[in-house]
Amino acid sequence: MAETHPGDGTSAARERLARAQTALLAALVADGPVPDGFDAERLAVQRRALIGKRADVVAKVAPELPEILGEKTFRTEFAAYARGRPMEGGYRRDALDFARRLTEEGRAVDRATRLKVRRWWLERSGATPPPEGRVRRALYRLRAARQAG
Amino acid sequence: MGATDIRATGTRAADTRVRLGTGIGWRPEIADGIEAQPGIDWVEVVAENVCPDHLPEPLLRLSERGTKIVPHGVSLGLGGADRPDPAKLAALAERAEALQAPLVTEHIAFVRAGGGTTGRPRMEAGHLLPVPRTRDALDVLCENVAAAQEALPVPLAVENIAALVNWPGEEMSEGRFLAELVERTGVQLLIDVANLHTNHVNRGEDPAVALGELPLDALAYVHVAGGFERDGVWHDSHGHPVPQPVLDVLAQLCARTAPPGVLLERDENFPPVAELAAELDGIRAVLAGGGAEAEARHG
Repeated sequence: MAETHPGDGTSAARERLARAQTALLAALVADGPVPDGFDAERLAVQRRALIGKRADVVAKVAPELPEILGEKTFRTEFAAYARGRPMEGGYRRDALDFARRLTEEGRAVDRATRLKVRRWWLERSGATPPPEGRVRRALYRLRAARQAG
Repeated sequence: MGATDIRATGTRAADTRVRLGTGIGWRPEIADGIEAQPGIDWVEVVAENVCPDHLPEPLLRLSERGTKIVPHGVSLGLGGADRPDPAKLAALAERAEALQAPLVTEHIAFVRAGGGTTGRPRMEAGHLLPVPRTRDALDVLCENVAAAQEALPVPLAVENIAALVNWPGEEMSEGRFLAELVERTGVQLLIDVANLHTNHVNRGEDPAVALGELPLDALAYVHVAGGFERDGVWHDSHGHPVPQPVLDVLAQLCARTAPPGVLLERDENFPPVAELAAELDGIRAVLAGGGAEAEARHG
């Protein structure tokens, strides 16, 4: 094995690499500036590809969202949500954040759809689990509807 | 003496590579089809998608009937600036043992960055991003690979990825970069011929040049997958049939060496399993043809 010694030999290289990779990733997921020497168009293609992959996984962990929204609206709304917003805490969290955001500012979706998304979010966000019993659940949904309106 | 004979009689007595055969990426969506399909020698599972205590029943049944299973990690980020996370390495090791895997595989990529002294919060890419082919990146990668090898109970093979972006100021070709990585760490290679095709379209890198520089002695197995071209850019979607140019790169590889294993990857837009079986037949035909070509050349 060559001249690498765990712990010392690569620390300067690690710092340089960390700076370079951080600048690239920030440009791709956090609306950072295009780092020197990169092709801006290609970066845009990669940015969209990453959001597309992220949407694929979110659609797998939360298949109800593309069902409620329709595939096309799900994709466009998700892209609008994800642009410049790095993922925090995994894909389930991402699906919940996306749904919450959609109920707050999803302009391209009508009120009924937004209400469905809000219900979906309320039932999964853990803050207020849907209560037992039909009457209580109906009241809870009514309340959710008012909040979403 | 033919190329196959050289390999069999061994100028390389220490070749411990496992003969895998032809396989397919195991995904829950096609689990039933895979089980019903004869002639699938082995499968690969995405390591992060299985829990060692609750392995999916269809996967256990495959294992019981002797189908080899290889865990394929996507989250280590061996090409990243940080040392690999010991917890992630332990999780991968645990999966290798639970699946009685002959080897495990990961990618030459970075998947997260930020934090520490970078002045940015930590960010996850959510997918594989290319490592700059520089001395710095190679030194770091070698050390990370060595750390992973120490933590894993079985050999590690690492895969070349598909890139949409080019790093400025690269110092080495992909082939040279991989050759030095293998020389310094003894790691095995998982060569994705679809990714070589991707880098041909997107970065103008000729697969024949890459194949000529690669240390094919270290080849553990080959990935084959489909994608699509849009506006002059190849998207390695894993959601489309394997196109002819990718099979052509596989043929070029097979003309140089007999791969110990080949695996078809499909992650999206799953067709009936009969279509995947037909794709596997197409791959087998290339393998047979490649062997014959090599024989003709050397024999």
